[in-house]
Amino acid sequence: MNVGGAIRAIISFLIFVVLHYTLRPLLGWRAPMDFLVLALLLASVRVRPASAAVIGFILGLISDSLAPDALGAGALAMTAVGFGASYLKAVFFADNLVLNAFFFFLGKWVFDIIYFVAEQRVHGVELVQQLLLWSPLSAAVTAAVGVLLLFIMRPLLEPTNA
Amino acid sequence: MARAIRSNNRFDLIILSVCVVLALAARALPSTMRDPVATGMRRSFLAPLVMLQERSEKGRQSLLAADAKQAHVDSLSLASMRAGELEGENDRLRKLIGLGSRVRTGFIPAEALHGRGIRDETTVILSAGSRAGVSRLSPVIAPEGLVGVVDQVDPTMSHAMLWTHPDFRVSAMSPDGTAFGIAQAHLTGATGGYLIELRGVPFRATLKPGALIVSSGWGGVWPRGIPIGTVLQEIKTSEGWARTYLLRPAVNPSDVYSVMILRRERLAKGLEGVWQSVAQADAAAQRIVVSGDSAARSAALAEAAAHRAVVDSMARANGAPPLGATDSARAVAPAPRPVPVRRPPPADTARRDTVRRDSVPRPDTIPIRPGVER
Repeated sequence: MNVGGAIRAIISFLIFVVLHYTLRPLLGWRAPMDFLVLALLLASVRVRPASAAVIGFILGLISDSLAPDALGAGALAMTAVGFGASYLKAVFFADNLVLNAFFFFLGKWVFDIIYFVAEQRVHGVELVQQLLLWSPLSAAVTAAVGVLLLFIMRPLLEPTNA
Repeated sequence: MARAIRSNNRFDLIILSVCVVLALAARALPSTMRDPVATGMRRSFLAPLVMLQERSEKGRQSLLAADAKQAHVDSLSLASMRAGELEGENDRLRKLIGLGSRVRTGFIPAEALHGRGIRDETTVILSAGSRAGVSRLSPVIAPEGLVGVVDQVDPTMSHAMLWTHPDFRVSAMSPDGTAFGIAQAHLTGATGGYLIELRGVPFRATLKPGALIVSSGWGGVWPRGIPIGTVLQEIKTSEGWARTYLLRPAVNPSDVYSVMILRRERLAKGLEGVWQSVAQADAAAQRIVVSGDSAARSAALAEAAAHRAVVDSMARANGAPPLGATDSARAVAPAPRPVPVRRPPPADTARRDTVRRDSVPRPDTIPIRPGVER
């Protein structure tokens, strides 16, 4: 990835982060989209697994700072998702919107599973309901929004040949 | 090549392990340490993001509350539009309550239901009927005065003829009883509304504009003392044997919504003094309003009089005429005082030296009343 591509990727990453703290609370849906996961996934497929893990860890800490009781849970989940996304980028990093949507869906769902299990705030039926109902819904919304943003930001996110 | 790949994989795994361990360590932190870490992050490099999130959540709250706020504003607007009407109604009801407390007994409160037809400005439907004790020819009054008379009675409602009706007549008089006449409606024009004519007033009785006219009690329908209107002016008619006056009505029938119907048995007791107390109360209120001005004016007059008295006494001591003397008084030369003729005092009068020479008390002295110590 050349410098121009890196700068565009960073700008895209920052746009997603800002959207997470502006559009998401403004909409306030019960099954919200997760722009941080989208930003992590888009960054992870462009960097090495180790860098993706670090990015995920930092993003997770950022999200955890607004929920101190869950400090570390988001970091753990984002680290795993980032590392896995970067590790599997050969499989999923294709110029196919459906594959990308599935990638986003899976990344968000895995994040939620790790997050809620590590957070230990919800238990029993509520946890199952969260992981099998609200998390997939949230993952689906995230995937849809991610695909839409990929489509809108294609010129910015298109990988360039170095 | 394969060794490099394995090395990279190992490096990735090491970094992953470090991140996972750090995350688990953060997760395992006690809350006493977790909170300072999170707070420090929020207050430092995350502060812009936190601010963005706060503003977004406020925007969402505003959006959610917009409909409720708009409905609230609409309700307030409607309420404020009705406030004037309610104040007027409240004022009317207060007056009616006050009238009821003065009349005490023998009346039926009712609502006046106005129609919108051509003849409806001369008649009105009342919300009380024979079941409530209303009978035909029962007088209808309002806090301001005479309204009309019941001409038809149903069990639950009744029909009243307002004073604006062409057939309506009431015997009227001035409160002091010097002038009597018959009051009836007077249509001032197509759009001028109604006034009241007071016809048949004897020539020897003159009424000044502003004089109150009340019912005389003659005829057996109306008790004595109900205000009918106030004199506006005398009008010329073809009748040469009596005067006719134009009155401003005490009650505007289109503004009457709450009335009182007097029972027949109440008529015998009369209503004298009921409106007189209202007038007295109004006069008292006026006196209270202007009392500040009056007090200031009387204080200024007293101060000026005291000042003038001091100056006059000084002038008198110097032999000059007092300032209070008028020019006409000064223009006239003082006539020589007549020499008093001494007459022998009658034998039964007191000796002259026993009479106080300064019999007129000085203005600055206080007369001593017997039994009061100074």
